Amino acid sequence: MARHHTPDRDDRRRPSGALLRPEGLSPTGPEEGAEGGLVPAAGAVPETLRGPATLLLGLYLVGLFLCVAGNTASGTSLLIGTVKDRLFAPWMVPLWLDLGHDTRLTYGLPEDADHHLEIRMAGELAGKGEGRPTAPLRFPAAGDHSERGARWRRLAAAAVLAEEDAEQAGVLPAAIGAGAFAAAGDDDLEIRIVRSVPPDYDSARSPRGTETALEVRVRRRDGELQLIPMPPAEEVAPLIDAAPAPGGGN
Amino acid sequence: MGHRSSSSVGVLAAAAAGTWDRFWFTPKTARRLAVVRALAGLLGLLLAWSWAGDLVVWFGPDGIVSPQVLGAWRSPTALSLFDVARSNAALWAIFLLGVGLLGMLAVGTWTPFTAPLVAIFWASLLHRGPMLVGPADDVLAVILWCLVVGRSGDAFSVDRRLAAAEALPSWRNGLALALLRLHASVIAAAAVVAQLKADVWWNGTAAWWLSARESTRVDLTGVFAGSEIATNLVTHAIVLFEIAFAVGVWNRSTQSLVARAGLVGWPLIGLVAGEPLWGAAMAILAWACLPEDSAAGTAGRPL
Repeated sequence: MARHHTPDRDDRRRPSGALLRPEGLSPTGPEEGAEGGLVPAAGAVPETLRGPATLLLGLYLVGLFLCVAGNTASGTSLLIGTVKDRLFAPWMVPLWLDLGHDTRLTYGLPEDADHHLEIRMAGELAGKGEGRPTAPLRFPAAGDHSERGARWRRLAAAAVLAEEDAEQAGVLPAAIGAGAFAAAGDDDLEIRIVRSVPPDYDSARSPRGTETALEVRVRRRDGELQLIPMPPAEEVAPLIDAAPAPGGGN
Repeated sequence: MGHRSSSSVGVLAAAAAGTWDRFWFTPKTARRLAVVRALAGLLGLLLAWSWAGDLVVWFGPDGIVSPQVLGAWRSPTALSLFDVARSNAALWAIFLLGVGLLGMLAVGTWTPFTAPLVAIFWASLLHRGPMLVGPADDVLAVILWCLVVGRSGDAFSVDRRLAAAEALPSWRNGLALALLRLHASVIAAAAVVAQLKADVWWNGTAAWWLSARESTRVDLTGVFAGSEIATNLVTHAIVLFEIAFAVGVWNRSTQSLVARAGLVGWPLIGLVAGEPLWGAAMAILAWACLPEDSAAGTAGRPL
């Protein structure tokens, strides 16, 4: 029997002579009509599209596999990375489909803790500013559990993580500082990213601790943006000589 | 003998082709997909709201996510409609246009045009601030592209109200639902694989680390601090649920059960994990995994 090819058509329109069947019972290809001929089922994929659709599906499935295998926190092999980057990333990245979906939720590591940003005028903490130190700008605000707040936490965490990447290090803190000059009313700011560390399960009743994950000074001088790393206090604390100064008090 | 083996290979190939066809190309009504469309549109509006408050602070001409930042973060092949916004007015115009499209998608207006435009808008928004993107944004992007494939406007929509003819089942709906099911399974499986690399998911304390965060929506620290068994139970239940979901949606006898469990389980996990909108997005995928009920007249052979 000669194979009947369905012409291109609107798949919403029932072709004349098609059998009426409940959805799902219909075979997807041509079926036997009342007169022994082959007619397409209602809503079935046109024969002219079946091959291209199958090809595209196969291609996408390979791309999906490579994206999952190539976007893990554990890294990826050179082979998978190369194939994905050359053949699939150029069209999957723009669609935001180059995703690993490795939603780990938590590993209990410091980088999984909540981060927030604190911005204050430079020198306030050290008492170099004029007057009493003002409360720092905090992003997100304390107690903000919204998705908007979550985006600020991601931004802060990304700035800390980026310090391990030569290309990204310092870029976000500088941008955050530059973006905050107007709001703070000053061109010399200290950016501090604070990590809220939950207690270990063994000491579950203890309160959360905080630690400074990153601290930099960002200032604008003669139109040029300057980023000055601020090492942890213990690294710059002055050495105190235990011996009393001659003729001196304490 | 050679003839028999080649014929059995042919039978196997035909069976595989039939299975492939049934899974991807079985015509389906638009009802289930239409619900996915409406829920995805609403979720998109909720997520868009979370971008709106700081849109200019992040993406404005003097915003934090400057072209220099994007240069360091974004893939060279990434594109965004927001890249052409050089002023706050242009930025807001593109954003509000996208929000309007999300609303139109939710109610099903001009869906064949709205669905791809929304998917492009969403990908553009995420590419504009990749370091701000959360798991709910990712899952929504996948759902939106799947909606582009189907004919979700054929039911529960303004389009349906205005249409003169009855909408018939379409292979495009079957394909879209199959893609959604595939992604639901892959996302759950990838999450399990990622989680099981860490000790906390094996020693049962992951639930503690999730609930003890400052950002947690549901404070279960009191419960978990008082009972290590409860902490272990929740931790292991999350992993087992994800495994069951990833595998169960492929089996005819378990598909309905795990998909229904997903409608409740994913939002609960999202709440515990501090990612409620991700839980909601996964619940939408779970809805897409539900087999068509008998009332819909779908007695087709499931995979």
